Amino acid sequence: MPNGSSIERRLQLSGILLVLALVVEAMSLAWVHPAAFLFFLVAGGVLMAAGILVYLYSLLPAGSSSN
Amino acid sequence: MIDPATILFTLIGLAIILIALLVIWPSITATRGGKILAFLALFILPVLCAAVGAAEHLERSKQTHFCLSCHIMEPYGKSLYVDDPTYLAAAHFQNHRVPPDQACYTCHTDYVLYGGFKAKLRGLRHVYVQYLGTLAKPIHLYSPYNNRECLHCHAGARSFEEGAVHNTDPQLLPAVKANKLSCLSGGCHEIAHNVAQVDHVKFWKRPE
Repeated sequence: MPNGSSIERRLQLSGILLVLALVVEAMSLAWVHPAAFLFFLVAGGVLMAAGILVYLYSLLPAGSSSN
Repeated sequence: MIDPATILFTLIGLAIILIALLVIWPSITATRGGKILAFLALFILPVLCAAVGAAEHLERSKQTHFCLSCHIMEPYGKSLYVDDPTYLAAAHFQNHRVPPDQACYTCHTDYVLYGGFKAKLRGLRHVYVQYLGTLAKPIHLYSPYNNRECLHCHAGARSFEEGAVHNTDPQLLPAVKANKLSCLSGGCHEIAHNVAQVDHVKFWKRPE
């Protein structure tokens, strides 16, 4: 099993990525332009996907990948 | 009624606060309540914010201001203010025959099943061409303008159905309705934007 601190570190990393994604989303909404949509889609999308994946990865038990 | 953007910014703010709590005190996830909070803050709320954000961006993409924000669309924006009723786009825009804040979208969407979706896909293609492709000079529609888009509003309207010019030839209206004769044909409503002449015409000034 991963110890508590490694899970906590993953949760923190996930949280930081998701906060960045949400900040990108909020910034993109302040601007009505096709580039704002791209910014939302590319930068926001990548950060959000990464944040959610890190969170979901932190839920996996440690043994599941070694089997 | 609450503005969707306000709801979105509230959701984003709430998500950031909850995520910040988890980042500062990750040990709270050791409890059942903490795990539920983490699921809410790190999964449900971000997915919800992304979905509402995407919907808001798509809604904003209908705005006239959005379409005209690209440099290449500038003359088309100017053509909406031409002081000449034979300019089709200008006459529709200035007389509110289309909502002025969604003028481009109203005439250039497809009034069919999933037409709005197709219009948004075309919008993504415009964005791709604008930033990564080669812009056609002059720009043109991907396919000829379909009368269906005009008829969405005009079909059944008295001025359209009983208009003297529309009824000079009994074959004319059926041909128009079948999209066999374009509304934009020469001698009919042939001047839509006419951007080639847009620097040589008189403009209407919107009253303040």
